[in-house]
Amino acid sequence: MDYPYLTDKEEKVKEAVQGEENIFLPKVAKILHVQPMAKTEKHFRLAFQDGTPMAHQPGQIVEASIFGFGEIPLGIASTPTREDHFDVVIRKTGRVSGALWDLNQGDAMYIRGPLGKGFPVEEFKGHDVLIVAGGIGLCPTRSMIEYIEDRREEFGRFILFFGARSPKEQLFLDDLERWRKEKEWIEYHETVDQAGGDWNGNVGVITTLFGKTDISKDTRVIICGPPVMYKFVIKELKKLSIPDSHIYVDLERRMKCGVGKCGHCQINGLYVCTDGPVFNFARIKNLEEAF
Amino acid sequence: MRLLFLQKDELAPFVCNLIASQEVVGPKARKGRFVFDKLESPDELRLDYDTTILPPKKYFFQPQQDLIKFSPGEFKGCIEPKPRILFGVHPYDIKAISMLDHLFSEGKKDWNYLAHRQAATIVGINVHKVYKHAFFESMGASIVTKGYDLFLTDIGEEGFVVDVATDKGEDLVRLGSFDQAAPEQMQKRRTILYGQTDRCPQKLDRMQDEIAEKVSLSYNHPIWEEMAGRCFSCGACNLVCPTCYCFDVQDVWNLDQASGTRFRTWDGCLTEDFAKVTVQGGQENFREDRASRYRHRIMRKAVYLNTKLEGPACVGCGRCASACPADLANPVPVLNTIMEE
Repeated sequence: MDYPYLTDKEEKVKEAVQGEENIFLPKVAKILHVQPMAKTEKHFRLAFQDGTPMAHQPGQIVEASIFGFGEIPLGIASTPTREDHFDVVIRKTGRVSGALWDLNQGDAMYIRGPLGKGFPVEEFKGHDVLIVAGGIGLCPTRSMIEYIEDRREEFGRFILFFGARSPKEQLFLDDLERWRKEKEWIEYHETVDQAGGDWNGNVGVITTLFGKTDISKDTRVIICGPPVMYKFVIKELKKLSIPDSHIYVDLERRMKCGVGKCGHCQINGLYVCTDGPVFNFARIKNLEEAF
Repeated sequence: MRLLFLQKDELAPFVCNLIASQEVVGPKARKGRFVFDKLESPDELRLDYDTTILPPKKYFFQPQQDLIKFSPGEFKGCIEPKPRILFGVHPYDIKAISMLDHLFSEGKKDWNYLAHRQAATIVGINVHKVYKHAFFESMGASIVTKGYDLFLTDIGEEGFVVDVATDKGEDLVRLGSFDQAAPEQMQKRRTILYGQTDRCPQKLDRMQDEIAEKVSLSYNHPIWEEMAGRCFSCGACNLVCPTCYCFDVQDVWNLDQASGTRFRTWDGCLTEDFAKVTVQGGQENFREDRASRYRHRIMRKAVYLNTKLEGPACVGCGRCASACPADLANPVPVLNTIMEE
C-alpha cells in the first residue's frame, strides 16, 4: 500500500493551515429565522454568510456548533432545490444543543457540511414513495418531502406517515396543516401515541397507519425515528412484500468528526457519518449494532 | 535502496549533529521501562529498548491537540507542524505509523495529523530485545520495507548497516560519517533482518485471513462475556495502542470567557460513554455492556479495518497486554481460543 499524500508538499500544508483543507473548520451561517415548534424543539432557518448554497442531497447531515460549547450532528431539514436557505431543528437536550437552542435571528451558527450519504434520489424516481417518520425523525426526512414537492412529476404516489407521542409534540405545525389539505401531491397520515385536548385524529403507534391506505409492493420506503420504531415498521413492510433493498433507514449516532475518523458513530465496521446516515436496509440488516 | 555503513563509535557524533539540526526524539529509559522523549544528548538514547510505554504516534496524533482557536467573531485552524526526527523506531511501530498515515488520509485528509507526519523524519532500528508481550512476528510486522527515511540494522560490534530510503534520509546522512556498506556487512544485515524468526514469546496459531474470517463469524461467541467480566472499561488498551486513532472533540474557554480552543483528545471505545447518544426519549448507548465494547475493539483490530488497511489493524507490539490492569487485553489468547474451535 502506498501513501501518495506524503509527497504532496508544502502547498497542501499551507492550504490546510489557512483553512482550505482543514476538515474541522466550519463555515459561518447566519440565522435568518427561528421558529419555536414544541417545548424543546426550535426550527432554525439558515444561510451561509458567503452566499453559497448548502448544495446537499436530501438526507445528508451537518455538524453545527457554537464556539465554547461544542459541535453536534444534525440532519438537514430542507430540500436542496430551495437554494436560498437550509433548515435544521435543534432539540434542547444537553449543553451544546442547549446553547444552540438559545441562539436568535441574526446570530451566527458554525456549520460543517454537507456530510455523509443522503437518500439515493435516483433510486426513488419513477416509483411510489412512502416516508415513515417518528418524532424528530420528521426533520431529516423533511428534506425529501420538500424535494418531492418541488419535483413532483419525477415520482409516483407519495405517502407520508408521521407519528408523535402527543399532539403537543408534533413538529412543523404549519407544514402539517398544509399537508393535510394539499392532497394533490401528498397523502399524509398522522397518529399520536396519546391524544389530548381537541385531537380528533388517529391514536396509536405509527404502525397503525398501515391500515389506512393501500401500499404497492413497488414502493420505495424511508424510515427515520426512534431506535425502537424500525423493527416494527419493517415487519409491516414485510407483510406488504416490499424487498429489503427498497427500504432506506436514516440512523442517528454519537458523532464527533463527521468525516469517518473519530470512531464514535461506528455500527460494527461501518461509519454512520460517511457510509450513512442513510443506509439501504439490505446492507445493514445483519449488523447487530444497527438497531 | 542505498546501503551505507556507520561505525559504532560514529553513532554518538551523528546523533549530536542531528540534535543540533532539529528536535530529535528517541527511546529513553524511565522508571524501569522506556519512553519516546526528546533527546538532549546521544547518551540518553537506548537503542537496546524492548518497547516504549506509549507508541510514537503521540508526535503526530497528540494526546491532546488544538484544532481551532476562537475569539469573538473569529476562528482559525492550529496546524503548526514542527520538523522532528524520530530516532530508533521499531519495525512494528513503523508499520503502525503507515497504517495511521493511511487512515488519516483516506476519504477526507486530516491535515491536523498529516502535517505533523510530513514534518517528521523516521529513523528505524531493528529490534534488539523482544518485549515479553510482543507477537509482531504473527502480525507480519517484524520487517518493514517502507515507511521510514533511514533504517539502521545493528550488525554487532562493528556498527550499523543503514538503508537510506528517501530524500529526507539522504539529508540526514550528510550529517554523519558514513561509508559504503561492504558485501559481507550487507549479508550480515540480511541475516539479522530476515534470518531471525521465532523470537516473540507470544504467537497467533493461524494466518491473518483465516482469523479475520472466523472472528467475523464469532459475534456471539461466549468469550466476549467471559473476558469482559473482568474489564474495568478503563480504555488503557486503547490509549497505548499504536493503531487506535479514535478521538473526542471538546471546546474550552479561556479565562476571559470570550476566546478559547476547540481541541481533540485520545478516546477509547472501551469507555462506557463512547457510543452513547441522547436520542428521542432519553439516552441510548449502542454498546452499553462491557462485552460489546470488548468485542468491538477486537473486531475492529481483526476484522473491521481490514477493508481499509488490507490486513489487521494490529502490529503485535504487546503494549495493550502490559497496560491492562485486569490482564485481559492481550488479543493473542482470545484469537487463539476462537481459532481453536
